[in-house]
Amino acid sequence: MGSVMECKHLWKTYEKHLVAVKDVSMSIGKGEIKLIFGPSGSGKSTFLRCMAMLTPVDEGDIYLTDECLTAKGVNLNAARARIGFVFQHIYLFRHLTALGNVELALRYVQKLPKNQARERALEALREVKMEEWSHHYPSQLSGGQQQRVGIARALAHDPRIMLLDEPTSALDPELTAEVIDTLRDLAKEGVTMLIVSHEMPFAREVAHEMIFYDQGAIVETGPPEHFFNHPNSERAKKFMTRLIKRTERE
Amino acid sequence: MFEFLGPYLPTIADGLVLTLEVTVFGLFAGLGLGTLLALGDIYGGRVTSSVIRVYVEFFRGSPLIIQLILAQYAVPALLPLRYPPLVTAFTVFALNSAAYQKGYIKGALQTVAQDQMDAGLSVGMSGKQTLWHVILPQAFRIVIPAWTNEFCSLTKSTSALGFVGFMDLTGAGRSIVGSEYIVLPAWIIIAAIYLAWITAFTKIADIVYEKKKIPGLEISPV
Amino acid sequence: MDVPHQILSFFPFPILNTLAISVLSFIFGLALGFPLALLKAYMKRLGYLVDVYEKIFRGIPEPVLILLFYLGMTFYLPFPFSNPYFTVIFALTLRSAANQSQIFRGAIRGIGEEQMAAARSVGFSKLSSIRHIIIPQVFTYAASGLANEYALLVKDSAYAFAIGIIEITKQAELLRSYPPYDIVTPYIIAALLYILLTFPIATYFDAWGSKRKKKLGL
Repeated sequence: MGSVMECKHLWKTYEKHLVAVKDVSMSIGKGEIKLIFGPSGSGKSTFLRCMAMLTPVDEGDIYLTDECLTAKGVNLNAARARIGFVFQHIYLFRHLTALGNVELALRYVQKLPKNQARERALEALREVKMEEWSHHYPSQLSGGQQQRVGIARALAHDPRIMLLDEPTSALDPELTAEVIDTLRDLAKEGVTMLIVSHEMPFAREVAHEMIFYDQGAIVETGPPEHFFNHPNSERAKKFMTRLIKRTERE
Repeated sequence: MFEFLGPYLPTIADGLVLTLEVTVFGLFAGLGLGTLLALGDIYGGRVTSSVIRVYVEFFRGSPLIIQLILAQYAVPALLPLRYPPLVTAFTVFALNSAAYQKGYIKGALQTVAQDQMDAGLSVGMSGKQTLWHVILPQAFRIVIPAWTNEFCSLTKSTSALGFVGFMDLTGAGRSIVGSEYIVLPAWIIIAAIYLAWITAFTKIADIVYEKKKIPGLEISPV
Repeated sequence: MDVPHQILSFFPFPILNTLAISVLSFIFGLALGFPLALLKAYMKRLGYLVDVYEKIFRGIPEPVLILLFYLGMTFYLPFPFSNPYFTVIFALTLRSAANQSQIFRGAIRGIGEEQMAAARSVGFSKLSSIRHIIIPQVFTYAASGLANEYALLVKDSAYAFAIGIIEITKQAELLRSYPPYDIVTPYIIAALLYILLTFPIATYFDAWGSKRKKKLGL
């Protein structure tokens, strides 16, 4: 197959009439960076959570490098251990330090011995430039710092792919930059990423493909330039115009 | 005023020991059982929840004295078991405390639970692992003030033992009969002992909490 | 199952006793506790006294208080302490006032200092502000705490059995020597009666409080 992650005909409905994922199929290859964007409430986050096997799908299949995750009897925990997920609201473990947050899964999921886990955790924190803060608790860190630790936590167990759900949306504007910088570094290293985000400048710079997602379905895909210059669909056009107008005002 | 109490002091001291034993046992046993009840209520499904609800209503809605009497008489009648009465008493306090502790443990678990569960799952931990390594550690810190409160409540409620024939601190008091020169001072001393114990414990608990707390997991005033 | 029915017929008077004790203690406790809460909240210097009061009456078990007054004080003040009704309500009131003082303080804190500041800013005196702004809101916040306190009082009224009042618990004890000489049944009925007296009212107040909170947009 060659792709890192793939989904076929995914469906997810909430409460009988809210279709968050409507027959969605897509794939992402090694080293690729794809960015999903679209109006709020369109189901993008739900789609990403389904891919991460955090939310069960109603129908359809998800593949992680040839292994079908939606088949019966699959060890979901092991699968999730091969996927790195970054939450919009960060969700750091509040009772642990930054180091503790990154270490926890290394010790109890990857079952690494103590000093190896610590080494690996420190490495991950170094990658996101948070090594100095390893002994701080989440409440002692700013939002941007917390999210960077969140990224480290997801990276530490060497996932095949990173899924990021609006990693900067919950942060104050001044704090977004540090997270974007971190993601840019990751992109340079060739990490495979599927990101849901509104950070258009970042998308333009780093994404190989952008996916416009609206009302539960993929409406249009294409390289960033395509969307910024001449999107095809009406909805995409409208969305991009509004977005550009907003950035012009700022 | 207190000179005549001399001969009674051993009884009072022994009573205090029993009171403390029952309190500590009830508190910790209640914590463990209460946690199980809270988990059962959250993750257990409808039938379990209903059963737990009846259990909690019974122990919170009826006086402790009645629970003690029922336990002493109903248990031998229903089950072919014979326990020394003290065992029954300890058990009743554990069950009673569990009913109260379940309430705030459940609250703490629910406060912590959803997002932290997702976070745990996202790094590959199983639900059980997340519960054990992430959710419970946080929940237990959140319940500390309510727990020290429960300690005080429990200490006071052990007083019921003195009315069903046990020689706890209150039982010791009831056994002291005679002239007013003995009875009033005795009760004043006993009241003072309860008061001193509870005040001291609360102070110590506050100090320990200050030292051991984790920044960010402070509790909002209940 | 005629037996429970027969047993139940003994209980109306005891139930009345239980209720009388609990309700009166609750009302007197409120009458004392609410002013104490206001005192601590709005007159900082006297607040210390309130703290001491609370500490004392929340740190001594209820039955010990009752017996202390009934057995101890009867000698020195036979009137009124030799009357069990008076003594038990007296002791329960003192404790309840301590609890309610805390409950109302929490409620006042819940209302927020800004409300008081706003009232003062349009010219109300401290007293008027309390009367017009705090008091109307305070019960909404205090509702669940008060529901709890009421349930507590009903249960603690059981200790009156030890000083000669025939309330629910005492009645159950007396029925031991009445056919069918079953020890357990009267007590089970007693337990159910207590639950009936605590659960519905407590739940109702709690629900009332939550509804009002929602209505006020809290």
